[in-house]
Amino acid sequence: MMSNLLTRFAAETGPVVHITPLEVFKISGYSVTNSMFYAWLSTLFILLLSVTVARMVRIKKPRRGIIQLFEAGTDFITNMISSAMGSREKGIKYAPYFVTMFFFIMLSNWLGLMPGVGEAITVNDTPLLRPFTADINGTLAVAVVSMFFVQLFSIRESGFLPHLRHYFNGSLKNPMTWFLGLFEILGEFTRIGSLALRLFLNVAIGEIIIAVFAYLGSNAAFLTSLPFVILEVLVGALQAYIFVMLSVMYLAVAVKHHEQHDAEDHAGPSAVTAGA
Amino acid sequence: MLYFAEVQNYDVLAKGIMMGFGMFGPAIGIGLIGHAFMTAVGRNPEASKYLGQILVIIAIVELMALLVFASLFII
Repeated sequence: MMSNLLTRFAAETGPVVHITPLEVFKISGYSVTNSMFYAWLSTLFILLLSVTVARMVRIKKPRRGIIQLFEAGTDFITNMISSAMGSREKGIKYAPYFVTMFFFIMLSNWLGLMPGVGEAITVNDTPLLRPFTADINGTLAVAVVSMFFVQLFSIRESGFLPHLRHYFNGSLKNPMTWFLGLFEILGEFTRIGSLALRLFLNVAIGEIIIAVFAYLGSNAAFLTSLPFVILEVLVGALQAYIFVMLSVMYLAVAVKHHEQHDAEDHAGPSAVTAGA
Repeated sequence: MLYFAEVQNYDVLAKGIMMGFGMFGPAIGIGLIGHAFMTAVGRNPEASKYLGQILVIIAIVELMALLVFASLFII
């Protein structure tokens, strides 16, 4: 009886799990992977959606539909930057970049949950579409761009030499200062790695969990994978928020340090002792 | 040498040990975060507005568990 049930409901092969993107086709020698291909499609979609929403926005109320979602997200991120940076002006100043990042990551995560993405459509046994953020190259690119802008903003906020001085903190005659400063700079690179890995692992493992539970469900795959799809919608938004929040925190810490150092410099030479 | 049992599939054994030990730390960590948050809310109900920060810290701890889970598909 039990073996009958097993043969009836369990699939022949295990769940199909890919942790790396696969090549779909080549354009003049450069291989295009499935995640790259879907990234282009989803970027186009997000661009069109954002432009449409921006055109739809009017000053007069009430606003309805998808405008509200974009408005709520923009307001949420702007408030977060304001409270992290300490003033509303800075929040509005840095909002364009961070809000773009938030919506790009969140919509990329959500577009990865669309039907047809994954193993559904295959070309030569290779899935045609793969979510952009379920690819370590994609998230690494996003993290590098994010940290590049964080560095750029903090240099623009306080000047190049004071920004370097923020790493080499203390007396320059002390060899320990140079040693610790190099470690601080190394820390910036580990931040890139941790931002990229966190986003990639959350999305890729969400995909894997959905695949595993769809496999376990066999004929009832819809019912068994549905709770995890709903969970992934939540996780996608949460990870986008966390990515942006950590970027803002790195920027806020760097900028606040400069202000602190300036205050200490004005207070007197003996005050510059506190580190990190 | 006396063999009690012969391991047929080392992969499964390795994966089981890795999952068991690897999830150990993050599980304790997330439990401690939850404990600290609930204690703080219990003492001061105003502290419940910091749920967003708690989720961020949980995401940082969760990275370790996710690394373990991803390694499952590599070994």
